[in-house]
Amino acid sequence: MKRLHLLLSRMVAASRSWFLAVSQRNRVESEMEAELANHLENLTADLVRSGYSKTEAARCARIALGSTAVHKFEMRSSLGLRWWDELGADLRYGVRILRKSPGFTAIATISLTLAIGANATIFSVAKQLLYDRLSVPHAADLRLFSWTGTEEHVAVHSIWGDYDRLPGGRVTSTAFSYSAYQQLRAGNRVLGDLFAFKRESMNATIHGTAQRVRGESVSGNYYAVLGVQPILGRGIIPEDDAKPEQGAVAVIGYGLWEREFGRSPTVLGQVIRVNEVPLTIVGVNPREFTSANDVQTPADVFLPLNMQPLISPKPGRVQPVYDPNLWWVNIMGRARPGVDDRTAQASLDTQLAAVVRGTMTVDPKDDIPRMDLRDGSRGLFEQRAMFARPMAVLMTSVGLVLLLACANIANLMLARGTRRQREISVRMALGAGRARILRQMLVESLMLAALGGAFGSLAGYLGRNVIPRMFEMSWQRSDLDVHFDWRVFAFTAGVTLLTGVLFGLAPAFAAARYDVNRGLKETTQTASRRRSVLGGRALVGFQIALSTVLVIGAGLFLRTLVGLSAVDVGFRTDHLLLMEINPQRTQYPPGKDIELHQRLVEAIATVPGVEAVTPSQVVYIADNRMRRDFLPESEQNLHRKSEAEFYNVVGENFFPTLGIPIVAGRGFGQQDTATSLKVGVINESLARKRFSNQNPIGKRFAISTQDRDRHSVHAWVEIVGVCKDTRYSNLRTEPPPQFFLLFTQQPEVGAMSYEIRTTMKPESILPGLRRVAQQIAPDLPLANVRTQDQQIEAAMQQERVFVTLTSGFGVLALALASVGVYGIMAYSVAQRTNEIGIRLALGALPGQVRGMILRESSWLAGLGVAAGAIAALVLCRLLRSMLYGIRPDDPATMAAGVAILLAVALAASWIPARRAAGVEPFEALRHE
Amino acid sequence: MAEKNADTQLDLLQGTLDLLILKAVSLGPLHGYGVLLRIQQISGQSLVIQQGSLYPALYRLEHQGAITSDWGESENNRRAKFYRLTAAGRMRLEEETDKWNRMAGIMGVILLTEPEGV
Repeated sequence: MKRLHLLLSRMVAASRSWFLAVSQRNRVESEMEAELANHLENLTADLVRSGYSKTEAARCARIALGSTAVHKFEMRSSLGLRWWDELGADLRYGVRILRKSPGFTAIATISLTLAIGANATIFSVAKQLLYDRLSVPHAADLRLFSWTGTEEHVAVHSIWGDYDRLPGGRVTSTAFSYSAYQQLRAGNRVLGDLFAFKRESMNATIHGTAQRVRGESVSGNYYAVLGVQPILGRGIIPEDDAKPEQGAVAVIGYGLWEREFGRSPTVLGQVIRVNEVPLTIVGVNPREFTSANDVQTPADVFLPLNMQPLISPKPGRVQPVYDPNLWWVNIMGRARPGVDDRTAQASLDTQLAAVVRGTMTVDPKDDIPRMDLRDGSRGLFEQRAMFARPMAVLMTSVGLVLLLACANIANLMLARGTRRQREISVRMALGAGRARILRQMLVESLMLAALGGAFGSLAGYLGRNVIPRMFEMSWQRSDLDVHFDWRVFAFTAGVTLLTGVLFGLAPAFAAARYDVNRGLKETTQTASRRRSVLGGRALVGFQIALSTVLVIGAGLFLRTLVGLSAVDVGFRTDHLLLMEINPQRTQYPPGKDIELHQRLVEAIATVPGVEAVTPSQVVYIADNRMRRDFLPESEQNLHRKSEAEFYNVVGENFFPTLGIPIVAGRGFGQQDTATSLKVGVINESLARKRFSNQNPIGKRFAISTQDRDRHSVHAWVEIVGVCKDTRYSNLRTEPPPQFFLLFTQQPEVGAMSYEIRTTMKPESILPGLRRVAQQIAPDLPLANVRTQDQQIEAAMQQERVFVTLTSGFGVLALALASVGVYGIMAYSVAQRTNEIGIRLALGALPGQVRGMILRESSWLAGLGVAAGAIAALVLCRLLRSMLYGIRPDDPATMAAGVAILLAVALAASWIPARRAAGVEPFEALRHE
Repeated sequence: MAEKNADTQLDLLQGTLDLLILKAVSLGPLHGYGVLLRIQQISGQSLVIQQGSLYPALYRLEHQGAITSDWGESENNRRAKFYRLTAAGRMRLEEETDKWNRMAGIMGVILLTEPEGV
């Protein structure tokens, strides 16, 4: 105890004294001077008193005390000033060295700036997407509820929310029924109070204009449990959410407040219409608070969960808040001190089983979902599945680029180190220790790294929003701003330090290893050492290998993008405008919505420039999916579980508008009306799958639907035609089996998208569209207006960003590697000028000399490329899931990558080779 | 002083200078030369202190917080730097004294051991 106390007090005193000494350097120096003078004076006086003459006494005193310069040096060491002084000297010397070779300094700084800047940029995006937590107090305590079950038999059949497949035939979701939430909350003893929320896109009418906003329906205790304090007014409170369909209040997000209300404090008490329901604004959220749902996209409107039946009524079914069979709300709670997650999960699992059995009818063969408590500190964290792998790939790529830059600089420094050998030998001969030389070299490389790091941070800061902008879809508002905070800064600083040590260590050790005698005796010409050239070669080979990996990786992504662009989607995508109209059930009850869509179709068809128009519920290549039971009459007695198939609800002009050929029977037509026979069209895949060896035309299939009293009934639909296959939700998946129903024959449809074929530029008809929509439905915004081509572009967004970034890194890698190859070959030629001169003097032809140098570099490049290709074979296997239409070991891409690298390496060594061939034998030999 | 009788003088053992300085200033504030005199006086002139090594040692001890200094008037009315023991220094002095005594005791026992008859 006492020891520790002493040690601590000593450390505190030492750092304080060191700081004082550094900051008041002049005072310390003059005090040392005075103290020693004092001593000398006292000693002299004593000697005089004991009988010495004055001059003799002064002389003896000086002898007794010894050299004051040495003492002062020791005293400074005692104060810990010595390494500080030496560091200052090293820095000054380093600056001089760096300034003496501006070319080297510039190349090193630029390559480091690019590499560190790229790392900082990618890291800042990765951090934001994958590591940032919700900005609520103690976000780490939040736990998100989710469940797992078997894909085949889980008791939960109806989900409105996320649904992901796990390995081993299991599925998982974070959606729960509202009654499950209520019962779990009431019975929960292992977590803090539970709250529920549901993110949903909504229509908001503010100041008379309608717009799409992100809505979050929340339970009454949401604000209290999260600990979020609105900056204006209040949050949603339990009273707001106490009774169903009452509590018409909203808290708005900071972004909406800024955009629509100019941050006016009078916003409180104003009424906005959300999905046509008037809500009174009671509060404004702080700027940093996005929602419990996720970190990236802030919700605009928060309202009580119990308003759901009014705000987002689901057509033709029991409303979600009353329906124990529909699983849709997200639940979170805070961990309780002293209760570990396993205990909590076990207890909640038991509870969940009871809730499922108590609220739903469970078939004996069904399995009960199992509770799975997740970390809730990042909300639902849906982006992990999307971005974890791409970000890992990007981080690896930039890491490799950085490594390449390091290798490059290490190489340059090694080559320069050989030239500096004399200088270092002189310093060592004058008494500098190896440690001192080592440090000197490290200080120099760290200075270079710091230069690169400073410019790199700047580049990263300026480029922080480049990547999010690349992901942005042109027709959507994006709120994703990358924050450049201290963690990014710390990361950059760490990377900088690491690079400095990484590229500085080898040259530093090489320098400290020099043999003083040889260094002094030999001239710089002959002082080349086989070893450092070998080290340099190994580094260049390594660079070539790294570049090969990066170039092949970029090639694979490029091929994927090309492959995706070449996909035949099965319909004409050009001159096709898309938009959405989302009528609210309160205003357009079942039947009225269909009437509205019919009127809109008719009106849009008259707009000049419109060639054809059709509504549809699913837009293709837009990640929209709809599935429902499809039971052909012929299979009715087979007792097999009726299988769900993808489908679309469309207008009668759907097939001609999109240009999908009908291969058998007919498409929809004028004769198919609300009252006529229900008809359907199927695509070829569905015909093959469910009507193999039969003619499907005229066959009937059953779908489950609702009658006017909302009873579930079977409705029979007759197949009138078969159409060609089209891609469905994305470009990557092969066309799935699909069937088509006519929207006019449905009980209700709600929101629909419109596909409009134009004769002119799609954008130019937009004003006309807005005008007719305004006339027919002034309250409904035209949402998500874009062209089908834009939609497909967006579907390839991630691939495109990937190609851009990885090709950028690939080019950077090539540039760095060619500098490396050029450097080492030029150096080698310079070293061998004598030898080449002799060869030429003895009759070698310039072409032979050139060939000799090129052969040498081909060996180097060949080995590097071979190593790189093997590494690429191993690494690119990890990319398999991100590729399309190409194997990760695609021979053509491999060959192309290898060829590019070899060509670049040979091109880079061409100049040194030519210089070697042009050596004048006489000049070269006279040099000796 | 350097030419005192060499037989009666002892060179300082490694690491004992710090202890001596701590002891010297524990008896009252001293300037650098005073420390030297005090040690020689107590030891009866039988210890040789390299005068040059005194100041680095003083600075080291001050750096470590065992002693502290301030400027004052010396006996001959000159400005001089006086060193005093701090609380931490006193603790350290006690500890080091203890250690020294134990060491001396053990050394004494070892060196006095007579060969035992077999």
